[in-house]
Amino acid sequence: MRRMLLLALAVPLLQGCKRETRDLRPDPPVAAALDGVAILPIGIGGRPPEVYFALGKPYRTNAYQLSEGKRLYAWFGCPQCHGQGEGTARGPALLDGWWNYGPGLETIYLSVRDGRPGGMPAFRSRLTNDQLWQLAGYVQQLGAYSGGAAAPSRDDAPPTRPAENRAPARFAPLEP
Amino acid sequence: MSAQPRDTGLDGAALDAALASVWSARPGLLGWFTTVDHKAIGRRYIATAFLFLALGGVLALLMRWQLAQPEGRLLGPDRFNQIFTMHGATMMFLFAVPVMEAVGVYLVPLMVGTRNIAFPRLNAFSYWVYLFGGALLWIAFLLDMGPDVGWFAYVPLSGPQYAPGKRADIWAQMITFTEIAALAVAVEIVVTVFKQRAPGMSLDRMPLFVWAMLVTSFVVILAMPAVVLASTALILDRLVGTQFFNPAAGGDVLLWQHLFWFFGHPEVYIIFIPAVGMVSTILSTFCRRPIFGYTAMVLALVSIGLLAFGLWVHHMFTTGLPRLGESFFTASSMAIAVPSGLQIFCWLATLWGARPRMAVPMLYVLAFLFTFVLGGMTGVMVASVPLDTQLHDSYFVVAHFHYVLIGGAVFPLLGAIHYWFPKLSGRMMSERLGRWAWGLVFGGFNLVFFPMHILGLWGMPRRVYTYQPELPWAGLNLFSSLSAALLALGFLLFFWNAWRSARKGEMAGPDPWGAPTLEWATASPPPPWNFSRIPVVESVSPLWDAPGELKVATGLRLDRRELVLTSVMAAEPEARDSSPQDSIWPFLAAIVTSVMLIWSIFSPWAVVWGSIPVVAALILWFWPRGTPEDES
Ligand code: HEC
Repeated sequence: MRRMLLLALAVPLLQGCKRETRDLRPDPPVAAALDGVAILPIGIGGRPPEVYFALGKPYRTNAYQLSEGKRLYAWFGCPQCHGQGEGTARGPALLDGWWNYGPGLETIYLSVRDGRPGGMPAFRSRLTNDQLWQLAGYVQQLGAYSGGAAAPSRDDAPPTRPAENRAPARFAPLEP
Repeated sequence: MSAQPRDTGLDGAALDAALASVWSARPGLLGWFTTVDHKAIGRRYIATAFLFLALGGVLALLMRWQLAQPEGRLLGPDRFNQIFTMHGATMMFLFAVPVMEAVGVYLVPLMVGTRNIAFPRLNAFSYWVYLFGGALLWIAFLLDMGPDVGWFAYVPLSGPQYAPGKRADIWAQMITFTEIAALAVAVEIVVTVFKQRAPGMSLDRMPLFVWAMLVTSFVVILAMPAVVLASTALILDRLVGTQFFNPAAGGDVLLWQHLFWFFGHPEVYIIFIPAVGMVSTILSTFCRRPIFGYTAMVLALVSIGLLAFGLWVHHMFTTGLPRLGESFFTASSMAIAVPSGLQIFCWLATLWGARPRMAVPMLYVLAFLFTFVLGGMTGVMVASVPLDTQLHDSYFVVAHFHYVLIGGAVFPLLGAIHYWFPKLSGRMMSERLGRWAWGLVFGGFNLVFFPMHILGLWGMPRRVYTYQPELPWAGLNLFSSLSAALLALGFLLFFWNAWRSARKGEMAGPDPWGAPTLEWATASPPPPWNFSRIPVVESVSPLWDAPGELKVATGLRLDRRELVLTSVMAAEPEARDSSPQDSIWPFLAAIVTSVMLIWSIFSPWAVVWGSIPVVAALILWFWPRGTPEDES
């Protein structure tokens, strides 16, 4: 009886805490498969590869992956053109809720990987597949209207805006 | 007033029956949750702490397995980070500090000749909070969200930017649990020692272990607030966006290290001072003479307690502090060798010419002397800045602090368990198994950790999850890992011995060792009221100096839990006072406190809403119920 109760408690907890796992480096086959996005011919929209689902959609639900994305965003010069998301003269805003190429995670992934004709450079050769996904996850979260249950936190930098994890959390399932 | 029954003139059996009716815990499960008997809680505390020792030991074995060969595949880097953090946090916060306080909770009231610890309900509360804090840490670890930032959780690594998720919060909140538990026990022990000593036990007749626990309790009270402050500031930084540790916004990263080590270094002495008290006690009993230089020993304990607060910066020599600060803290770190050395010499003088009885507790004391002196030597080495700059964060440091912590605290503790086991359980631990376990633990320990000195000198850094085959470390690592199996076997034997002896051991009788202190003046295990009549003390070694019957005090009431309060210095009787009855509220209060603390990892509003049930529980806890205990 007691065991059953414990089990009943443990299962949801175990589910919930996938967002704390930390995959520092995916296995090489997994990393390779992460690139297999099925793209529509116009280069907008498509479907993330199967392994993304098999991994449990970590790039939007795992705080570690999101904060890695945040770090890459700073390291790879995105603020040069996109600012902290508000956009600059050289690149569009990412947090105004308007996506030139659609809001899907796989589209954002493609924007970063292959670049876009209006002046967005391609990062394919500079980042690994999982890093590209981390970036895409972070960028999508940046433009989301509601907070997620997982979020990176503030940087050790002069505060310019409230930390991401201060937004009200939303526990509804996320689209891919 | 004349209607109150007194113990004057009652004979043994009738007296015990009367005492049993007011002091005994309720039978059954409810009694288990409501008891406030310091012995029941002390036993529980000790058992739980040893459970955490075993868990932490398993983690240590996993790390040794991983490091046995280069490019080990057992653990990945992330798991390894969690494991070394959990090992350190478990051993320091859930084993070493609690177990020392637990032994104090069990023994101090017996040694000072009183019937229960002061604030016994707080004592029960303390145990539950400690248990829930330990459970929090371990359940989180099993859910893959164990902290991975080291047991010291340095910012910025543990800060909002580099430790996403809730792992570091789990660590910080576990600290809060153990702080509450430790502070509660410290306050109880100070009050018990100051106000509840048996009549006649003036400060200079107090057993050395009681002195040690008194000093420890003061160190706890003074050290813990620093880490309370630090961990709270960390949680605030992470959860509500304060900037305590953010240099870009005027915060300070080094502030964390100062606050942490202002607690963290005294913490080492919180573990070590009780161990010293155990050593003095065991040594005196087995040499059958009072400890040499009682006053010097007491002064050494007190000065270690004071100096403990003047050394913390030696953990931070490589952070680029001003030269003057480094020199000062080098000097003070070396100064602590003076009182420690004084004690060593007093022990040697006690041993001099004595024919100590070589039972297992005494063997552990000898193991302590040998190991601790070695650890102390390397301590003096790393206290000097130039050497420390070389050795910092290398395996040399790992070797050093295991020598002082295991040699300085765990060996005396194992000796103390063998020594007081008859008091705890009424039965002796097996001498034969004990000797085997001693040999394996002592030998295994040195074989595991001595090579680490050399590995450190060869440049192996701490906290690496693996190393390359080209590096010259493989041989010694393999040797150390294999020896770890011996050490583990020794601990297994010890646990097996305790388990078996508690059931089948030889019956002990009240005083199996012929020891001088008051805890041996009552039955083994003691009845819930400890002493049928409160003893009166006339020397440091009452049981040796008054070989017949001890003098006792009479005239205590029998219709409530009553004990004698005495004056702080001379222990002259001042008043009779009541001791609280059993209550379920400490347990319930601990539950609601835990809910509030764990919830506050996720939302700052928990502090607001969660404190309402805490207040309610406390009000019900203290609600006057018209029992004889409530009379002033
Ligand atoms: C040299 C300037 C520049 C840099 C550096 C840059 N971008 Fe862009 N980015 C642009 C421009 C310009 C566009 C608009 C392209 C278009 O509309 O065709 C764009 C578009 C995008 C889009 C698509 C937006 C939408 O509305 O669909 C995303 C996503 C994006 N960038 C992400 C990034 C990330 C992540 C980085 C850093 C790794 C980055 N960018 C670095 C200039 C830049």
